Amino acid sequence: MRPQNAEPMLPGFIRHLFPTVAGLPAGPLLTLSLRSLARRRPGLFERLGEYRSACFGIDPVDLAFAFRVVPDGQRSSVRVVSKDGTAGSDVLIRGPLLTLLSLLDGTLDGDAMFFGRIISISGRTEAVLALRNTIEDAELRPSDLLGLHGILARCVDTGVLGALGAVRRMADNSPSEAQKA
Amino acid sequence: MTTKRMELVCPAGTPATLRAAVQAGADSIYCGFRDETNARNFPGLNFSRDELAEGVRFAHDHGSKVLVAINTFARVDDVHIWKKAADMAAESGADAIIAADFAVLDHVARNHGQIRLHLSVQAAAATPEAIGFYAAQFGIRRVVLPRVLSLQEIAALNRAIDVETEAFVFGGLCVMIEGRCYLSSYATGKSPNLNGVCSPPEMVSYDEGPSGTTTRLSGFTIDRYGRGEPVGYPTLCKGKFKAGDKTSHLFEDPVSLNAGGMIAGLKAAGVTALKIEGRQRGKGYVSEVVRAFRKAVDAVEKGGESVDIDRLLAGQSEGARQTAGAYEKKWR
Repeated sequence: MRPQNAEPMLPGFIRHLFPTVAGLPAGPLLTLSLRSLARRRPGLFERLGEYRSACFGIDPVDLAFAFRVVPDGQRSSVRVVSKDGTAGSDVLIRGPLLTLLSLLDGTLDGDAMFFGRIISISGRTEAVLALRNTIEDAELRPSDLLGLHGILARCVDTGVLGALGAVRRMADNSPSEAQKA
Repeated sequence: MTTKRMELVCPAGTPATLRAAVQAGADSIYCGFRDETNARNFPGLNFSRDELAEGVRFAHDHGSKVLVAINTFARVDDVHIWKKAADMAAESGADAIIAADFAVLDHVARNHGQIRLHLSVQAAAATPEAIGFYAAQFGIRRVVLPRVLSLQEIAALNRAIDVETEAFVFGGLCVMIEGRCYLSSYATGKSPNLNGVCSPPEMVSYDEGPSGTTTRLSGFTIDRYGRGEPVGYPTLCKGKFKAGDKTSHLFEDPVSLNAGGMIAGLKAAGVTALKIEGRQRGKGYVSEVVRAFRKAVDAVEKGGESVDIDRLLAGQSEGARQTAGAYEKKWR
């Protein structure tokens, strides 16, 4: 059994597929996705209240890059930055990518991950809570970010979530960096 | 021993969590409005009037009940905020209001006789006399028991009262008597009793350093954790302090209550409902904990042994540790 605070890291070959330069296009694409989502579900950002204009640094520890996210409805922005580029964010959330994605889809509980030190936070704690609770209630699926509906949405959700599940299983079966150390 | 099937009462901080709790097998879900009228007033958490009405419809369609916590204490000149919350809860079709303040209890008893009144743990009512007073004055139908009573004390209490009792079985623990704790007020000027927040998040900071994490509340250092060491909630009662030449968790260790192995004992003690703490927690926690307790309660109701709930839920616990708390009280 995996120790409670062992980090389910991305398998090495996947990490090598995504150097910083490969992540750069993700910024504009995710910005467009968030803004489109805000147009389709304007109430979704309401729970953030005053924290919608806060800058959230998201640092997946098993990727070569990080993100700076301002979840401000139709003015949202996502930038791919270097690991040092999260400095100055109102909040910094660090953790393995698969764990962060599991928090996004509500599979895992943020407090439990925090208690176990699998994720760490620093900065404005109240903004982290607002973001966590907003994401929890949003019940986002991959198709929501892509603006898809109907059969196509179901196919994409099945495919993306299935692929993520496969990567999680690979991560569970491979020793983490923490375990190797 | 009560012959009625025990009710599993589960937390929900958002509409999505309410649906998750219902689908995981909750008999009742408790929640609150997005303001200071409830004891979990955190950013992004809780329900609007419309969300509550929709949540009540969803729960009722699936055979579950909704209990609305309006359990902080009203302020002079602002009582109307608490009264309005009670009115909205009653209009939503909710099954009960959980309250502690005399003003709220009185308002509901006088104006919303159709809705059940449950006495919140915040009232800290732990004697037949106190509970009898609330029953006689406001017609409360259930009391949520303070987490300071042993199984024997609960059994004795149930023999002496004629309202239902609800006991916490999982989640965060308060070392102080609920409703009377001033630790958070002392450090931050805000308290769960009046503002609905213990350790308001805007006053909590986690600072990462080379040797680990330092937790501060309103500038006071309350704990330091080495890398990989499990952490707890950033409350003063669970902080680590130096007294004499010894550094320790002076008031309480960062642990979660888990009375999963005591369900049969609680039933024998006459408890009507089992409560899971954690409106501030996410869907992952609620789904996992509710599912585990649903299985355990059903097993006990069928006369079987309780399932190994401790092992199932270790990962959801504060500080990754669990305790049976006062139910196995060995102190006085």
